Amino acid sequence: MRITFWGVRGSIPAPGPETNRYGGNTACVSVTTARGELIIIDMGTGLVPLGAHLLQSGFGKGEGQATLLLSHSHWDHIQGFPFFPPVFIPGNQFVLHGNAKSASMLEGILEGQMNPHFSPLYTLKNLGAAIEFRSVTRGAYFDAGGVRVCAQANPHGNITALAFRLEEDGKSFVYASDVGYPDEGPGDAIIELYRDADVLLHDCTYTPEDQATRRNRGFSSYADAAAAAVRANAKHLVMFHYDQDYTDDDVDRLSERCRAELNRLGGESIQLTPAAEGMTLEL
Amino acid sequence: MKVRFWGVRGSIPVPGRTTNRYGGNTSCVEVRPRGGAPIIIDAGTGIRHLGKLLMQDAFGDGRGTAHLLISHTHWDHIQGLPFFSPLYKRGNTLHVFARQRDDTHLRAVFESQTEEAYFPVPMASLKADIRFHELMEGQQFELGTAKITCTRLNHPWIAIAYRVDVDGASVVYASDTAPFRDILLEHEFVAKPPTSGASLDPADAAKLAAMREGLVRLCQGVDLLIYDTQFTIDEYRSRPHWGHSTPDDAIEIATEANVGMLALYHHAPARTDEQQDLILQECRIKLAGAPFEVLAAYEGLELTLGEED
Repeated sequence: MRITFWGVRGSIPAPGPETNRYGGNTACVSVTTARGELIIIDMGTGLVPLGAHLLQSGFGKGEGQATLLLSHSHWDHIQGFPFFPPVFIPGNQFVLHGNAKSASMLEGILEGQMNPHFSPLYTLKNLGAAIEFRSVTRGAYFDAGGVRVCAQANPHGNITALAFRLEEDGKSFVYASDVGYPDEGPGDAIIELYRDADVLLHDCTYTPEDQATRRNRGFSSYADAAAAAVRANAKHLVMFHYDQDYTDDDVDRLSERCRAELNRLGGESIQLTPAAEGMTLEL
Repeated sequence: MKVRFWGVRGSIPVPGRTTNRYGGNTSCVEVRPRGGAPIIIDAGTGIRHLGKLLMQDAFGDGRGTAHLLISHTHWDHIQGLPFFSPLYKRGNTLHVFARQRDDTHLRAVFESQTEEAYFPVPMASLKADIRFHELMEGQQFELGTAKITCTRLNHPWIAIAYRVDVDGASVVYASDTAPFRDILLEHEFVAKPPTSGASLDPADAAKLAAMREGLVRLCQGVDLLIYDTQFTIDEYRSRPHWGHSTPDDAIEIATEANVGMLALYHHAPARTDEQQDLILQECRIKLAGAPFEVLAAYEGLELTLGEED
């Protein structure tokens, strides 16, 4: 699996020189499988530069296929969708797996994004590509381009967000953005999803001090991320979904404090990387 | 009055090194009458930073009142509103003005932006007092000492332009709009651009002519005209049905209306700072000797018009 980060920011895009190093685009990660197929996780504004990149491949000619995994449908995870050029090209095919009670409810949520009050597209039906919607069955593995994918729900404020585990050739990548654990920490099913991950991408929105004033938002601090990584025996923790007000220097400090917290918890051997736009990891 | 630009980008915010100078936030302009409450035009992502500034003042104490004029409710003109921090403080008041719709109350349009599937904080739970005012086309009203007039534009689902007159100065905000010649844009979805050179339906042509006349009248003698110039000429030719103009279209209206200054606005998301510099340079060459100046709006730009403080 080759993992590429297109958007790493939380809540709302944060343009400006003070976010140039880590990037200001909202959540979007792509995974290229061993056999060259594409999985896209979340559709924040990072999806826009990914789309521009894909136009140079089969997606530019209507011959593209991809699996879309949607953790949840808050704006910062779907905002890039109407600006993703491959969805306007007939012939391209997408299967979108998301967090809703039914496939049609999931479709309805994205249909609402295209409503003529809000978007000149008026309806999903005006997109040229074929999009199939699927509601995820939690805890059940399914195949995406030769990769085994499993999803579990994490608490996220007043809703839940899906965390995804992707496995291929004995390697595993877990995507766990937008999670606010209860006081007792993550549940066992979630820790099992994270277990022994080669890469655990985890929500790292805040410092513990900033989190304390915004508990109801349903996001993690670096301390939550470090504790989850240690408990699940992850090999590599990737910080993700930084608060929109954090500058690059703030994220540097967040990363230093996260390293110290990992060490304090006995996770000295866990590699730590703050996600940055344009970064690639090979598994 | 002071005019401050908080977001100048169209369509979608564009973070990154190529937009550092003009800025990557979507549409938001603040008009601040001398000693008066802020009049904010559009609530794209730029409004988040304006909100932070306002919280350092009366809004931080829950004693602030602001007026928000919405050109239309496409995402890039409203997506910053849930991040406008004065709304989270009890005692503050926000008056929201937008065009009346046939089928939906303005409040419902805004409330659906923060439905549970899309956003963690529902609008109904916000602590500030948010009041909605639905406008009829051509309506005139007063906000403190400021006089507001408006007229409709050529854009899918219809946008409106606003003129603010206060402190002996005036500004028009005209975004988003296509020029008034090739296609009439209103309620229907237009899948394909019109055939080049095809003649317009006479009823559509009459409507476009009236719309153009209304806009020129609104802009007449204004000190500053802020105009949607998202497209280059080539981009417009391939997408006339998207509802955006070129700098040449803006210059045409500005010239006819005898404006004092033209601000290029609603820059394309893909436009780099260097490309925008070139677009501005070309306009300046075209306008050498013209009776008005042209500038390209950028985040943080502040202009003082009319009587000084």
